[in-house]
This record gives sequence, structure tokens and C-alpha cells, in this order.
Amino acid sequence: MRFIKAEVLKLLYARRNYGILLGAMALSSIGTGFTPYALNRMKGVLVSPLTQTAAVDSVYSKALGAYILVVILGVLVVTSEFNQKTAIATYLASPKRYQPLVAKILVASVAGAIMNLLATLVGMGVAAYALSFYPEAVAPSSSIWLSDSLIAMLTGAIIAIIGVGIGSLIRNQSLAVTVSLIWFFIIDRLLAVLFVEVGKWLPTGLISGLENLQFNYQGPVVPFNPGDYLDPWPAAGLLTVYGIAFVAISLMTTTRRDID
Amino acid sequence: MLLPRFYNHRLKCMASIEFHNLRKVYKDLVAVSDLSVTLQAGRITGFLGPNGAGKSTALKCLLGLAKPTSGTCLLNGKEYSDLDHPGKVVGAVLDSSGFNQALTARQNLKIICAANDVDDSKIDSLLELVELGAVGNKRTRGFSMGMKQRLALAAALIADPEILVLDEPANGLDPIGIAWLRDLLRSLAKQGKTILVSSHQLAEMQHTVDDVVIINQGEIIAAGPLKKIIGRKSLEEAFLALVRKK
Repeated sequence: MRFIKAEVLKLLYARRNYGILLGAMALSSIGTGFTPYALNRMKGVLVSPLTQTAAVDSVYSKALGAYILVVILGVLVVTSEFNQKTAIATYLASPKRYQPLVAKILVASVAGAIMNLLATLVGMGVAAYALSFYPEAVAPSSSIWLSDSLIAMLTGAIIAIIGVGIGSLIRNQSLAVTVSLIWFFIIDRLLAVLFVEVGKWLPTGLISGLENLQFNYQGPVVPFNPGDYLDPWPAAGLLTVYGIAFVAISLMTTTRRDID
Repeated sequence: MLLPRFYNHRLKCMASIEFHNLRKVYKDLVAVSDLSVTLQAGRITGFLGPNGAGKSTALKCLLGLAKPTSGTCLLNGKEYSDLDHPGKVVGAVLDSSGFNQALTARQNLKIICAANDVDDSKIDSLLELVELGAVGNKRTRGFSMGMKQRLALAAALIADPEILVLDEPANGLDPIGIAWLRDLLRSLAKQGKTILVSSHQLAEMQHTVDDVVIINQGEIIAAGPLKKIIGRKSLEEAFLALVRKK
């Protein structure tokens, strides 16, 4: 418990984390705020976009996009210790190195879940507001608030753990953050859209699978089909496997390498 | 030259720090080679050597931060990884340790208190002890090197450990600070704490330590009571003679 308490204090004291939370809320809100406009311009591809429940649900689900900043939170939980040279004090407090690390993983996963939930809820509020400007927009699924909240917590927790794993592998903070942003902001997203057969097995594709959106297309060519993603339960299972794999990576690297 | 075996021989009371055939190799570099020495409890021991001699590596092995290639390091008879509550056995100030600069001195100490399961009510008295009481609520980003060293000492003392391992604790301290540090270490030794201090400030060490261990190129070249090691020379003269001879 003492290590968890120490990690919670680190998280709460660092003003940077509140900035990440605000950034996540902003990112989520931007995604949902502009999606109705973008969907409305897809009239040649989707049948009356905003009259489809799935399309309106997709506007709300854009709020889930803040996980990109949650991975940064996870990365910083580890790399800031080496950047600020506090790792020695952290690991001197325990005879077993895995103890502080397990505390970091637990605290990061809970913080990631909460952060992603808050960002998603704010984004969904913005979605409701943005959709109010489109009279033809239908109501979303009755379960959208609950399902997206659950997805936000699950993905927030696991993505934060992946961040801890990345931070354990790459202790250089700037490099770890850059690698994470390039992967999650660009590569993972492009793969999920342009190469679905590959992307559906990766985090962004899995999160899309969790959303389980089924559009009614009319155009001949679409870059991707949400139906190609895994179903929600397999997607959740594979995402959890990613989390477990990154916990293992964190433990192996932290217990084997010297602390400098 | 006084060898470690001689040094061990004179120790009758409980040994608090022991290195047994410690060897640490980084790829092709032998940082520490067959280091064996036992340090006496309740005394201040200077751990001396030129840059790259292997002092910091040996201290990291002692504190469980680096894995020895072979050999063992013991604190009160146990390896670091076997200590039930390491913070209560050993406190450390290493040259590579630091603080979260975005947090205040008090917040940094609160985190260390939590990790060591220590009541944070003693933070005020610790800050007073290291003469940082007035700046406890200031972010450490603006601290001078000397202030950071004082804060590091407060952190090392947080769980009232029996042993202190200090790597260059006088770095950044002005003459008044160095005198303060000397008095603090002497008073802690009088309380029965064992102190292992690494430093390049040999003139100051001569006034502070009871015993010395001198290493060069990863090997011990002298160890024993200060007076026996230096004879009629100053510590600096004796140190230079030993290092050049090696």
C-alpha cells in the first residue's frame, strides 16, 4: 500500500497531469465537435448520414479518441522518474523492484481509466451540443453513454499500462513520448483505416471494434468498413492481452536493468 | 600499503557494510574488480578514489541499484534485496539522485515518506535539521546545488536509518555548508550511525572521517583507520602517493 500511496501523491502533485487531462478533454471535444459536419459532407458515401443511428453513435464515439494522451500519462509515470532522477529514491524504498513498478501500473491504469472517462464524457456532451445544430440528426442508441463510458474506462486502463510498458522500455522521456505519439497518432490510425486486415489487431482497430458501429453505405468505394473490425468481446479480450503483455515487458525490463 | 584483511582484523564489533569479492563488468569495462572490505558500525568511513575508480558503481551494487557481476554486498549482514524495510536500514545520497523539480521540497519529502511508510509529521523537523525550513513550500526547480544536497540529506534521513551512504554530499556546498555537513555527520556518527561517504574533497574528508577505503581502477589500494593510512602526511599527499604508485 505504501508504494501505491506514493504513486498517487506523485500523480496528484504534478500539475502536468492536470494539463494532460485538459488536453484529453479538448482532443475529445474537437473530435466530436467537428464530426457532425464531416459526416454531413459524406452524403455521397453514407445514406443520409445523420439520420442513421450508427452515424450519430459514431459522433459520440469520437469522444473515445483521447486515449492518445492517456498513453502519454502512462509513459510519464515511468520516464519522469529517470528524467527527474527520482528513480533511485523510488527503487531504494523497496527491496524488490517489482513492488514500486506494480504500484505504478495499478495507479496508472486507474488514473488512465478515470482520465479517459472524464475526457469521453466531456466529448460526448460536446457531441450532443454539436448535433443539436442538425435538425435531421436522429437520437443515438439508448446505451451509447453507458457503452462508451465502459469502453473509455477499459481502453484508458489498458492504454495507460501500455504507456508504462513503453516508458519502461524507453527510459528517455522525449524519445518515449515521441515514439508513442508517432505510433498512436499516425501509424496505428492509418493502419486501422487503410490496412484494416493489419490494423484491426492493433489498439486503434480494437477500440473501433469495441464501438461496433454498423453503417449503411451506398457509395461504391469506401476506404474501410467498420464491419471488418473484430467484434466487441474479442476486441476487448485482445486489448487485455496487450495490457498483460506490456505488464510483463515492464516487469522484465525494470527488474533486469540497472537503475541510473 | 594496508590491505583490507588488516582492516577486517581490527573490527571486533558488528560489521554494518560488507563487500565480498565484488566484481562489476559493463561490457568490456571492469568497473569494480574483486572488492572486499568490511566497514565498522558507528564510524565514518571515507570512500576515496579518482574519477572512474569504481566508487559509484560499488555504491550502486551495495544499494541494489546495479547487479554485481559476481560477489556480494551486505548491509547489516543482508543483501539489499533481503532487507525487510530498507529505508530503515540505509539512507543514501547518490550523485545521480534528484528531486521532481516541479514539486516543492515538502511534496518531494511527502512522497518519500509514503514510499518508506514513515509518518510525514517529521518533515518539518527534517527540513529544520538541514536548514531548509524557510523554503519547504518552494519548488525545488529554483534550488541551488547546495540546497538540493541538503534536501537529499533530509530524504536520506527520513526513515532514521542505521547506515548512511553518501556520494559526494559536499558538492555545491559553500564553506559554511561544508562545516555544517561535517558537524551533522559527526553528530550522526555519535548517535551510532554508520556513514560511508565518497568524496573528492580530501582536505575536508581528513577532518571528517575515522577510516578510509581508497580504490583505483576498481581495486582497493588501501583501507584502514585514517591515521594509519596517512601517517604524518596529509590525506591528499597519502592519496596521491598511493594512486600514483598503483
